[in-house]
Amino acid sequence: MKALTPIERDRGLQRLRRLTFGAAAGALMAVLGISYVAAASYAGKATSTLTSTASTGSQSSTSSDLQSSAQAPSTGSSGTGTVTSGGS
Amino acid sequence: MSVAVKSWEALGTSVHVLTTDPDQLAAAETAVRGILQDVDVACSRFRHDSDLSRLNATGNRVVEVSPLLASAIGTALRAARITNGAVDPTVGPALARAGYDDDFSRIAADGGPITLRGGHVPGWQAIRFDHPSRSVLLPAGVELDLGSTGKALAADLSASAALTTIAAGGVLVSLGGDLATAGTPPEGGWRVLIAEDNRVVPDSEGQVICLHDGSVATSSTTIRRWTRGGAVLHHIIDPVTGLPTTGPWRTATVVAGTCVDANIAATAAIVLGEAAIEWLHARRLPAKLVGKDGTIHHLGRWPAPEGITA
Repeated sequence: MKALTPIERDRGLQRLRRLTFGAAAGALMAVLGISYVAAASYAGKATSTLTSTASTGSQSSTSSDLQSSAQAPSTGSSGTGTVTSGGS
Repeated sequence: MSVAVKSWEALGTSVHVLTTDPDQLAAAETAVRGILQDVDVACSRFRHDSDLSRLNATGNRVVEVSPLLASAIGTALRAARITNGAVDPTVGPALARAGYDDDFSRIAADGGPITLRGGHVPGWQAIRFDHPSRSVLLPAGVELDLGSTGKALAADLSASAALTTIAAGGVLVSLGGDLATAGTPPEGGWRVLIAEDNRVVPDSEGQVICLHDGSVATSSTTIRRWTRGGAVLHHIIDPVTGLPTTGPWRTATVVAGTCVDANIAATAAIVLGEAAIEWLHARRLPAKLVGKDGTIHHLGRWPAPEGITA
């Protein structure tokens, strides 16, 4: 096999670089294109993990302990009640 | 103290709405009726068309429930978590097996013997619930009963809705003896007769406490009772045994920041038995416990009865 001259070798390397760059760029474009098509055609679905506890929501359904009244009840020193608290 | 009162029946129990301004009573009543109607549609286990009945019929399938039912489920699961399962929303089938399988007004007061099957209830941990998406999964055989905390939640929602509706002053809503307040109370506070039966008229003999804010709830084994084969049964189920509780307390009354919290504590006290005293002390909740023998315990900041120095 005939040995290449330095000029022929440099031309071959340049051609190889162009081919490599072109192949990489083409592959990247293909990946981006396919990704776009996939994302646009399948909307997906949000999922969440069901747990056995109330995770968020109103204060009353998440507070970790029982809330006291701000002021303690006082004795109704005289007179009668106006409403009854009792079992039902 | 002069307050206006309107009373009627809903959710299988008595409803009383009180306002400090008599001119605001009609508006408050309208707001409360609306909330109770919504709660009945969402949470009743005795209405076949309720959101809860539809959920209980799904069996092992994830379903999205209404915002109100999701709130009620979240509240019930919080109650179970806080009480370490003493207040459990899966006791419904056990309650039905004990004879309470319809609206209480249609339950026969006396009947023939039944076979009581005990054993652990399925337990609240079996329920899969995601509040943000309102998704619920009940494993096959598990049913929700939101009766206890659901009623208290309805009282809290009703008081809040009524306060939003009225122009000024304060409002108190009583659902079967579980009371929620909102707004400015009357001078000296809301005067509440503490009884074992919510049907006792408020000017009867007994201890009267003045509620300045927050709520009060009472649970009792002396009410909502029935007899089967001579055995007296009641509606508070111990989740450990799956049977009506047999502990030392017949009635527990608790004052808390919300009606839900007062109701949770009162029901838990009946189920916990002797341990309820330490449990309530640790939570600094004013409470009154009545033993089966009539012995009375006042806990925390519960006011001393008239004539007795604390």
